[in-house]
Amino acid sequence: MTTRAGELRPDATSDPKNWTNRLRGWFEGLVPPGEALPARQPAYVASWIYVFGVLTLTSLVVVIASGCVLALGGVAWWHVSSVGHFFNSIHLWSVELFFGFMVVHLWGKFWMAAWRGKRALTWITGIVLFGISIGTSFTGFLSQSNFSAQWIGAEGKDGINAIGAGAFFNVLNPGQMLLWHVVLLPLGVGLLTLLHIILVRRHGVVPPLDADLEG
Amino acid sequence: MSGLSIVVAEGPGKYIHWGVIQISVANLAIIGAMVLLFILALVVPFPTHDDESGDQEGQGR
Repeated sequence: MTTRAGELRPDATSDPKNWTNRLRGWFEGLVPPGEALPARQPAYVASWIYVFGVLTLTSLVVVIASGCVLALGGVAWWHVSSVGHFFNSIHLWSVELFFGFMVVHLWGKFWMAAWRGKRALTWITGIVLFGISIGTSFTGFLSQSNFSAQWIGAEGKDGINAIGAGAFFNVLNPGQMLLWHVVLLPLGVGLLTLLHIILVRRHGVVPPLDADLEG
Repeated sequence: MSGLSIVVAEGPGKYIHWGVIQISVANLAIIGAMVLLFILALVVPFPTHDDESGDQEGQGR
């Protein structure tokens, strides 16, 4: 049945066998209605310790944005341009803040046992994110195109070889390290961050230990 | 070496040796600042909007 020439009625497109419909239903069910961007939170969230997750996320936005600007000029841009040097410094210090905020976020979540209430996957994605972020930072230091990067690569190769990763992850190959730094690892951080946030919105913010409303 | 130059890595770093543990003053200062930030986040009161609504229950989701 049609409403206008050649246009199906909305209820005629809800066929469950249609994969687009199923995908839309999956998207809509990711987060409970109204929980994607809630304007209000439980009273126990009124504490500075709950702010550090968002501060980490904000720092990540600055890290990615400044990294994109650095990508415009190239890997050696910051050596020859004051503008490039400025954005390199923005990139470095936003990473420093990113890790600082993330570690305080981690401490807070550890001491409130934030894996309670079916939040284990939220906790696990956060820990894996921490690990991948360290790898992203490491490859960033290897991509400085200076003697510091060379020294870090020379010092790091034996450790990487010792864990068996040297065959496919060569820290003495600046081209490979740069591509891991700007493509593969940020993709992993971005996707896991998205999953982490969806899980937080799906299960809600964990209550303090002495206010565990879930028993 | 000035106090600031110990913290902002200019020249060779100053290290503290404590048994098997050795750590640069710069790294120790950063860790100390983060621990201090963590404690402050727990004890500093968070600004609320009690005067606007007056209903704490209303903050529940």
